[in-house]
Amino acid sequence: MTWYEKIGVQLFEPNRDQSPGEVVFFKFFELFIVYYTIKFAWDWGIYTELRNNEVVLSLGLAKYIDISIFFDNQLAIINAAFITLLSIMSYLRFGFKWQYMVVMILLHVQYVARFSQGEIPHSQNLIGMAVFCFAIGAIFFPDKKKMPRFVMGSIIFFIGLGYTSAFFAKLVGTGLTWFDGRHLWLWIGEKSIDILSREGVWEPNFLQSMALKSTIVASIILLIGWFTELIGFTMWFKKIRPFTTMMLIGMHIGITMTMNIRFDAFVMQLILVGFPWYILLDRYIKTTPELLKKIL
Amino acid sequence: MDPSFSKRGMKVLGVSLLVYALLVAPHQGEFWPLSIYPMFSQAGNPWTRAMILDVTNKPDADLWERQPLNSRESDVVAVSDYGVDQIDFSNFVVKTQNWTQTRQKALKDMFGTSAIENERWMVSKVRGELIGSDSVSIEITPFILLTPDSTYLNPNLQAEVYGGTD
Repeated sequence: MTWYEKIGVQLFEPNRDQSPGEVVFFKFFELFIVYYTIKFAWDWGIYTELRNNEVVLSLGLAKYIDISIFFDNQLAIINAAFITLLSIMSYLRFGFKWQYMVVMILLHVQYVARFSQGEIPHSQNLIGMAVFCFAIGAIFFPDKKKMPRFVMGSIIFFIGLGYTSAFFAKLVGTGLTWFDGRHLWLWIGEKSIDILSREGVWEPNFLQSMALKSTIVASIILLIGWFTELIGFTMWFKKIRPFTTMMLIGMHIGITMTMNIRFDAFVMQLILVGFPWYILLDRYIKTTPELLKKIL
Repeated sequence: MDPSFSKRGMKVLGVSLLVYALLVAPHQGEFWPLSIYPMFSQAGNPWTRAMILDVTNKPDADLWERQPLNSRESDVVAVSDYGVDQIDFSNFVVKTQNWTQTRQKALKDMFGTSAIENERWMVSKVRGELIGSDSVSIEITPFILLTPDSTYLNPNLQAEVYGGTD
């Protein structure tokens, strides 16, 4: 068995049969993704319609089309409506197997219209990556047993890859001195301005105060976070996955406390994909509900 | 489940990864939701953000003076009270190259056409940088004054700062 086949076995677990708990969990997880897809589509659409006037930054497909057409004519709202309709149809397996791919493209357009104002947030990326994996899974693995396993495995693959990629981006961008605590001082200062601008007031919390008083404390905070990103790829391995996930969740709590950046959907998704919830569900669910079998 | 499934799964992932690389490479590492996650990768660089100060009661003679963040006299206007995302606002101010009349009006309209009634708002740039080995300096520079009727650029800044205005 080659190295990538071994990783494939860890991600997709071909030797484990599908259980009722796995089916129930998968459809719950898919509902979670569809909910956030629809939520983001409307949040972004309404903001675009109400607030966006000029394109400051062209991201993705906005480099090739005039995305400002989405600022008027209710186009962002119409797009949100299409995303909602196609997402629900896809969830119910009503329609065509490439529908999730269409949702993916429309959601991308919605994102680049909304975030044409200069900000490049990443807190919604995991939801987008999940839609991407549902799209690939629906096209290449339409089988009722293989699709759930591929979707979950590929999401875990891309999450692990993303964190490790972030580690190397810092190593290339700054070098080994990235974890110098004074860098955290600068970021705390920067984020404090964002909070001050948003709320009109800002006071440092306990962790920020500790970091601002000592370069050693600040450096340790950065070093722990950076190391956690490095080991992100260990999520690929089934037995290590829950421990890596706990460290990643801890890292996000640390980011929220030090830099006031919240990743709510991101962390919820980590909690869902990082632990084998089907084992718990299988204790209580002995047969797969007929309704779920139909929409699997 | 047939054992060749995971092998095919990895091949599909491999092709997806190739598409991933081909999309992010020519787009500065970002093609949502695909990303190389470059946030915070360049540490230690000075930064510039934006905020609004309520300068309604400030004497005209002091309007355009720079000041350290810690000794500012004016209250900060909370942009969330107007339904505006503070990051969007900040990027709009910092990343705009040419402050044309249209762009100045777009900045004002961001808060709604009648947000400023009897006040004067100073859109300010805030710059942070490391000073020496143990401190961070944060300084406020007044940038654009918003009044109910008009917008005014800082006369103390060079015209190039505002790009080609019309």
